[in-house]
Amino acid sequence: MQSSEPAPAPFLADCALPYCKGCGHSLVVRSLADAMQQSGLAPEHLCIVSDIGCVGLIDRLFPTVHTVHTTHGRSTAFATGLAVADGALCGGRTRFVVVIGDGGSTIGLLHLVAAAQLNVDVTVVLHNNHVYGMTGGQASGMSPEDWNTVTTPDGNPLLPLDMMGILRAAGAGYLARELATSRSLTGRLVEAMAHPGFSLVEVIEVCTAFGTKLNRLTGPEVRALAERTGEPLGLREQRLGRRHYAEVARPPDEPTETGTRVQSRVVVASALKAPLRVVVAGTAGERVQSAAALCARLATAAGLYATQKNDNLVTQGTGYSLSEMILSPSPIHYTGIDAPDAILAVSADGWNTVRGLARTLAPGGVILVDDTIPGVPEGLPALVRLPLRREAGRDDAALAALAWLLARTGALPPQALADAAVATHGEKAAGAVRAIAWGAAEANRGGD
Amino acid sequence: MRNLITGNELCARAAIDAGCRFFAGYPITPASAIFANLVRELPRRGGVAMSSPDEISAIAYCIGASLRGIPSMTATSGPGWCLMSESVGYALMAEVPVVIAVVQRLGPSTGGATAGAQGDIGLVSEAVSGGYRFPIFSPSTAAECYTDTLRAFYWAERLRSPVVLLSDKEVASTAEVVDDEALPALVSPGRSEWRGGPVGYRTYAFEKEEDVPLFAPVGGSAKVTATGSAHDQAGLLRKNDPETLGVMRHLQAKIDAAEPELGRVDFDYQEGATTLVLSYGVSARASRDAVAQARSMGRRVSLGVLRTLFPLPVTALHAGLAGIERVVIPEENHGGLYRNAVLSALGKREVVGVNRVGALIRPEEILDAII
Ligand SMILES: Cc1ncc(C[n+]2csc(CCOP(=O)(O)OP(=O)(O)O)c2C)c(N)n1
Repeated sequence: MQSSEPAPAPFLADCALPYCKGCGHSLVVRSLADAMQQSGLAPEHLCIVSDIGCVGLIDRLFPTVHTVHTTHGRSTAFATGLAVADGALCGGRTRFVVVIGDGGSTIGLLHLVAAAQLNVDVTVVLHNNHVYGMTGGQASGMSPEDWNTVTTPDGNPLLPLDMMGILRAAGAGYLARELATSRSLTGRLVEAMAHPGFSLVEVIEVCTAFGTKLNRLTGPEVRALAERTGEPLGLREQRLGRRHYAEVARPPDEPTETGTRVQSRVVVASALKAPLRVVVAGTAGERVQSAAALCARLATAAGLYATQKNDNLVTQGTGYSLSEMILSPSPIHYTGIDAPDAILAVSADGWNTVRGLARTLAPGGVILVDDTIPGVPEGLPALVRLPLRREAGRDDAALAALAWLLARTGALPPQALADAAVATHGEKAAGAVRAIAWGAAEANRGGD
Repeated sequence: MRNLITGNELCARAAIDAGCRFFAGYPITPASAIFANLVRELPRRGGVAMSSPDEISAIAYCIGASLRGIPSMTATSGPGWCLMSESVGYALMAEVPVVIAVVQRLGPSTGGATAGAQGDIGLVSEAVSGGYRFPIFSPSTAAECYTDTLRAFYWAERLRSPVVLLSDKEVASTAEVVDDEALPALVSPGRSEWRGGPVGYRTYAFEKEEDVPLFAPVGGSAKVTATGSAHDQAGLLRKNDPETLGVMRHLQAKIDAAEPELGRVDFDYQEGATTLVLSYGVSARASRDAVAQARSMGRRVSLGVLRTLFPLPVTALHAGLAGIERVVIPEENHGGLYRNAVLSALGKREVVGVNRVGALIRPEEILDAII
């Protein structure tokens, strides 16, 4: 009885293959086409992502599957993006097959490692012909030791990279090595494409244009070469159960509305008539920048314009931390502070960073420095020393200094700053509220 | 509602509002906040935000996702941009929409992670071999970071092209007051998709060279042949034949044809002014103050804030240059990177640069150049 099922369309185009006579790439392409046919996947659910090199001449050979021809070494990364988007956002029906050489695999080694680590639905067919074929037979990171190539005329002094070992360590779930001439190759490729997650088949061949000639190699010797340059041929790894990144990344079905940021809703009025340019400096981790942010947000709620920018050491958790803040009744364009109206230094780190600004102080400006900071020249104009750290505590000294400034300038009511702290931090704001009250009281006492 | 917010936060918000559903990133100051915001928000809005092991991977992941049909974005600064540039050329050649936010910081090399600059204009605009110019937008305020991110997605999708949002440390990471209600809504039409079913699709088919080929996603029923190598309209490797040469011209023609629409310069004219201050990004802010000061001194001066750097917004510039004899161009780099690029569009006018590296250009310096 004849089956009524039509035979699946052949995956391979009916045309001459573009590779050199005897090149293993031809064998791999035929095996891949057979494997695709045996996989039972519809062509629209298959995509060949090809690298640069002789391996990249594959596009026109597969007229029914999707093909993406990429850049040298990066094919695996393009395939990773495709596979994550497909798996996490499009139902995950597509299998991505990377076709790459030993050259591409070494320049793009990190992409192979990352794809194995992410465990994406990508099957890599690594055509290892032991040289850069397309560029004329130079040594690659997978050339055998002592191998003669155009760039190692005295023999390759290096050991070839152990791709199986590298990718096993990266978490690859399916790894195999086969000769291009092996009858098992097609079956391996079918297995690899059926493996859920990342899989790689290293296919051993010898570049007929360069490898065989320079190394006087005959066909039967290729098996010995393969065994000398890496793990034994055959299935090298088959593990299931690792999570797929695409599953981890799949967003929930129902989009959730974003939580709106807590902004100060305190209703206040400001008496500010001209821009107030403030530099507040202290030590990283002592809430200098968040104090300035609270103040700038309050100003925003009060209908003022505000800008705030922060600076700190690149290490972020140590050294100085400062904020430059401008509060203004009119829109702010230039955000530089060339002549500050107030310099507030709440720690020695902070003072050492901003001390140079003292000579640029605007007329009528003020400098407030914690009274424990050593080496502050007493002759500075408009210098005020207060026990900020002792009275407000390390973490609220900046808030106390800002409350002092707001009270002194009438820019905003300090009580509103305290309300904003409570609105933002709830019960944890008790210390902040005390610090603000103390700072404002000092200003009202004319604490200078 | 009025909020105190940074340009980077608004860039992330705009990406979501524009339909971005895939982000891949690698941390770098001062662009990391875009990454952090999208990692938090994108999954809740039906998208993916993932880490990559380097910037080469970040943009390749984005291009892959975009080929699958998902609007995609990455964000970086100068050093990361350098690693991405090979793939930006790929996106242009393979006609894959992708948005790249480049937040400039002080260079050369690692330079100053927390210092501002406008030094990557050349690096970004000339990243692609062959003189191709893809759209580059330049916000000068936090609110404009929102608007220009919307524009970036709109044009990336419409043109099937990489588009760069080129901001800078000061504009992107200074918090300032933005009124939510004043932010525009720009509805993106998305890509023009092939709806012809499984047969007959050609990945790069166009009739007129300025046409944008219809898009079909990899993994859909129509077979896609995408490539970064010289190709014919079917996407097959070819060189030197007339069809391929036509594709090579088409890649720029489709962008140039959109110039009158995507070119944007915000002018603040003054009647009778013969001097124009032309600026962008952080330096446009100091320029605004300088122009206001000059006017308060009785000088007549106009201001142009470039919101499109490339392709050169010649249509908008042409209109804005009427009556202008002298153009002052402040920018935070050596030698005037944009000044040199825009020279051809300024005709015989006197052109003066105001330049500085490593610190903000002050309004007074621009004022000096105006008067
Ligand atoms: C970034 C980059 N560097 C170098 C090249 C030049 N190049 C083209 S193919 C190739 C080597 C290809 O060797 P392999 O990946 O082993 O594939 P094969 O040609 O042997 O099939 C190189 C180095 C390139 N295209 N891009």
